[in-house]
Amino acid sequence: MVDSLTFLLAGTLAAATPLIFAAMGELIVEKSGVLNLSIEGMMATGAATGFVVATVTGSPVAGFAAAAVAAMLLSIVFAALTLGFLANQVAAGLAVGILGLGVSVMIGKQHEGTTIKPIAKIDLGPLSDLPVIGKAFFGQDPMVYIGILTMLLITWVLTRTKLGLIIRAVGESPKAAHSIGYPVILVRFCAIAFGGAMAGIGGAHLTLSYTPLWAEGLVAGRGWIVVALVVFGTWKAPRIALGAYLFGAVSLLELFVQGQGFAIPSQLMSAMPYIITIIILAIISRDARIIKLNHPASLGVPYLKSE
Amino acid sequence: MKFLSNKVKALIGALAVVVLLPQSQVFAADPLKIAYIYPSPAGDVGWAHELDRGRQAIEAAFGDKVESIVVENIPEGPDAARIMNQFAAQGAKMIMLGSFGYMNDGLKLAKQYPDIKIIHASGYKLADNMGNFQTRNYESAYLAGMAAGYVTKTNTVGMVAAYPIPEVVGIINAFTMGAQRTNADATMKVVWLNSWFDPSKAQESARSLIAQQSDVIFSIYQDTPSVVTVAEEEGVYVVNTSSDMKKYAPNKLLVSMQISWADHFIEQTQAVLDGTFKGTAFWGGMADSAVSMESWNDDITAEQMTELEATIAEIATGNFHPFTGPIVNQEGEEIIAAGDTISDGDLLSINWLVKGVETKLPK
Repeated sequence: MVDSLTFLLAGTLAAATPLIFAAMGELIVEKSGVLNLSIEGMMATGAATGFVVATVTGSPVAGFAAAAVAAMLLSIVFAALTLGFLANQVAAGLAVGILGLGVSVMIGKQHEGTTIKPIAKIDLGPLSDLPVIGKAFFGQDPMVYIGILTMLLITWVLTRTKLGLIIRAVGESPKAAHSIGYPVILVRFCAIAFGGAMAGIGGAHLTLSYTPLWAEGLVAGRGWIVVALVVFGTWKAPRIALGAYLFGAVSLLELFVQGQGFAIPSQLMSAMPYIITIIILAIISRDARIIKLNHPASLGVPYLKSE
Repeated sequence: MKFLSNKVKALIGALAVVVLLPQSQVFAADPLKIAYIYPSPAGDVGWAHELDRGRQAIEAAFGDKVESIVVENIPEGPDAARIMNQFAAQGAKMIMLGSFGYMNDGLKLAKQYPDIKIIHASGYKLADNMGNFQTRNYESAYLAGMAAGYVTKTNTVGMVAAYPIPEVVGIINAFTMGAQRTNADATMKVVWLNSWFDPSKAQESARSLIAQQSDVIFSIYQDTPSVVTVAEEEGVYVVNTSSDMKKYAPNKLLVSMQISWADHFIEQTQAVLDGTFKGTAFWGGMADSAVSMESWNDDITAEQMTELEATIAEIATGNFHPFTGPIVNQEGEEIIAAGDTISDGDLLSINWLVKGVETKLPK
């Protein structure tokens, strides 16, 4: 029983980390009024790039950095399409996402099916040896904690800083932001690039820690979960993180319940993480006023600078 | 999302093939053009990797008498049909279809082009010019189960499996019966992934099974070393199918259930060259060296090894069938009476689990 609890707790934090990184990036992008649906492709590109670079150089840090850069480059393609050519954001996002999946296959081709030593977990001596909570809270890889810090940082930036206000203003009413002198296109461009880098880091966490191997299709739909988390978390960082943990926990619980031999159809269990996450987030976010307040009013609307 | 990227690759593959075409006409004595289509990339290990080893065996055996066209990672469906027709247009006279779902398109092609000989993995439909091939993995699963029975201390084996199709159910049953032969108390837990490909979920499944006291993990048809690496990391034994994964679990790999198409592929190619090809159903086992045990763990004692080797010999010579009664299902009903042996037909459509497997079969 103790083992099972440890597994559930520790696994939940690890499973949620890639989602949290990518979702925090997407949150900033959407707050600036842009809907980028290419997360799945950017995560895949980051996952492949991070894996290949870490394998070749032996340095996970270089892997994460390369993953961030690669996915950022991809997001700049998206930015060029949507900000430069005013392309439809949904269509451009889907197209870039598909491009990203293809790019990931190309990058990872030579390393298909190979493994890598996962990044080291921290060891706080006696703290890490505590039953149940030790491994979960004091024995994860560093990125798990960086993910939580990122979430706190983004909450702070969005709600407490001028930068956050500017991003939100651009997302609410780009015209008004422009009229008081804020560079709308530049803000959105930076937001998209940041979102890309974060998705890349999230993807790299998959291949460098969570599932330390590369295989085509490894991201397996997590990019789409991220998009859903941001919306159902009503654009609030802590709620999005909560959603990610919930999703991680239920997907692990599913495997656990199956192993216990309960007579629940496993197909239903496989659908559970999606169902439960959406239901719970929908319930805690059911207040229409909050949704209205947090939903960026100009989300998905291309901005054409009017002279 | 995946199929689109595959489409792109299929196009590239097709283009590459078109580019290669004129060169092939330069050769004097026309070599036999053999086309191969795999459902996944021929990676380092796994299903497509083993098919590709079969291709290499053909090339090694026949040299410049054969010429290969390989297209990887083609999903079952319209894409596959298009590629098969392309093979025909390029003058391929023998085609290897690497996945179950290529069956109906393959059969259509066989009817349309009687001069093209087709061999198809794991299907059941035959034509004069279309045969199929499968391995009797239940034979190796039984032996792997025996080994698991020897080494387990918790008497619990955890299995990670994709979908409850008869092939997988048969393997689980054989493994369980093998384990119970050497350890009457051995029980099995199964996690169904309900996904053909999700290495992260496969790893978490293995972790959850280990957390629930499994000290041997059986990785069924996972094309990546996902489960195997977790077992090595957590220090529990692991058995895997299709390819040898010793290098991914140097200490804890209990044994690999290796499959090998080399002999069968070479035989079929020879038949095509001789003009004697006839579509047959090949279900190769240890007797045909289509399945074998690779990389036994050093923790298996000499005495246990003697017993295992004796059983291998018995199976290979046909003196022993793993599905020999009495066999009791999960509900305690006797399905196979003492002394009886299951028929190939029943085994190919098996939909019940034997006693000792704790997880119920999803219906």
